Amino acid sequence: MRVGLLPTEGGGTYRFAVIALAIVGILISSLPVIVVTIMSFSAADNTGFPPEALSLRWYWDVIALFTNEDASSAQSVVDSTLTSLLVAVIVMAISTFVCIPLAYALARGDRRIRAGMELLFTLPLVFPLVILGISFLLIAESLRVDIGIWRIIIPHVALVLPFVLRNCLGAMSGISVEIEEAAVSLGASPLRAIWDVVIPLMKAGILAGLIFALIISFNEFTITFFMYTIDVSTLPIWMYSRTVSSLDPSTLALSVFIIIADVVLIVLVDKLIAGRASLF
Amino acid sequence: MSIRLSRSRALAFSLPAFIAILPFLGACFFIFRFSLSGERGEIDGWSIQPYLDLMTPFFGRSVWLTLKLAFIATVIAMLLAVPLAFLLTSLRSPLARRCLTVTILLPLILNLLVQAYGWILLLGPSGVLNSTLRGLGIIERPIFLLFNETGVLLGLIQTSLPLAVFPIVSSVRGLSQEHLEAASSLGASQWRTFFDVTVPLLRPGLFGAASIVFAFNASAFAVPLLLGGRRVQMMGVAIRDMISPMFNWSGAAAAGMILIFLTLIVLVFSSWLVRVTSENVRH
Repeated sequence: MRVGLLPTEGGGTYRFAVIALAIVGILISSLPVIVVTIMSFSAADNTGFPPEALSLRWYWDVIALFTNEDASSAQSVVDSTLTSLLVAVIVMAISTFVCIPLAYALARGDRRIRAGMELLFTLPLVFPLVILGISFLLIAESLRVDIGIWRIIIPHVALVLPFVLRNCLGAMSGISVEIEEAAVSLGASPLRAIWDVVIPLMKAGILAGLIFALIISFNEFTITFFMYTIDVSTLPIWMYSRTVSSLDPSTLALSVFIIIADVVLIVLVDKLIAGRASLF
Repeated sequence: MSIRLSRSRALAFSLPAFIAILPFLGACFFIFRFSLSGERGEIDGWSIQPYLDLMTPFFGRSVWLTLKLAFIATVIAMLLAVPLAFLLTSLRSPLARRCLTVTILLPLILNLLVQAYGWILLLGPSGVLNSTLRGLGIIERPIFLLFNETGVLLGLIQTSLPLAVFPIVSSVRGLSQEHLEAASSLGASQWRTFFDVTVPLLRPGLFGAASIVFAFNASAFAVPLLLGGRRVQMMGVAIRDMISPMFNWSGAAAAGMILIFLTLIVLVFSSWLVRVTSENVRH
């Protein structure tokens, strides 16, 4: 007899309580996103619920926002979107580039060193983001040179390192030394064995790390909130400055685009690391 | 022939990552040094004045509010996370499991502004909840759930829920089937099995998850900023206000150090609890 944590039949109040609480959890997680999606199809100017009629007008507004560029506005949505994407891509490239060799060294190296290093690279995850934003701002302000877009990239890299490293380590854990030794005994140099044998085997984990870095950097708000300038600003900051006084339905349509992109990317990560590693 | 990772190669492989994390470590050190600065606007001299200046009723209230909200949000998030983890591990269909994973994970990753819009639409004076309740004739005037502690609490629970669910999922996966079967075959009810077998076995994982959720909630910034307005001064928002209108950099740094210290205490305390409880389980 198989006894599950969630009984499939019977179970009375226990089964009822577990399922009821799980439903509350699902509702709290998903309702905000669902409501944003519904309201973005509203035909009305305000955000009263339920929408009296449905339309795509706010989607057309968003497209118009991106195509009819008003050159006079200092902080346009196109500029901030491009900056967001550029930052996310550079952050993704740097964090993956540094994490692959580190994951290799940790997986093949001393166990005690590995535990300490993993702790060090998990720190940015538990460090309060506000403090990080403030101290990065202080450092950037005390520098005499203007570092442009790097004022956002450098903190973002620190922020995504824990996620990327965890994915790369998870990918390394399944690769035994024997495979590498086989390559070397067949005449490959050790570096060549890593490049041609180990890295292709790590591919799924590396890809998952890449995507994680991309979504986290693209959606990051708190640190960027401290670091942005008039010239260097990202999409979340643009959305904040637009809606700080009142909520505008076209921003909801823009949000739906972001939601769809995020869901697609998360599903991709979930597929890549299916069952082999935990998401964190 | 075996492949040995030489010390120099291991160092060379780790170096890029060290360079990448160096600015973060620099930032940690910088904030510590600034909190002991004699001047408010720059690092100059040594003084504990920034800390002494924080001993005000206003900052005390902010610390108390932060701890209170983070604690309540953590308890509720854990209450919801355990059933969700059970559900996630007992789903048979891969599609259903994937949908549930995305639903739970999305709030942690999605742009916090989008989620704040969602809560504003849900809880605002003319939002979904109020118009539904009014339509049903239950209330006459809108109830205010936004820009007060309730709104912030809901936002905190939502964003921290994934941090609770996924660690619990991995400890549920490690749960041995035999224990549950033994309890059940001895005639224990579901509730009894849950409280006497499942919870004690899961306890280390539960404490670990709860401490991360608490640290995350205590240092929340965007949620209280967007959903709490000016009225809910959690520490994150209070620290920002020291900088933005007041330019009290050293005070903000000192407040930040206190926040880090509080979260560290909780993390250390819970890792001690994990050790104690996992020893109990083994005996």
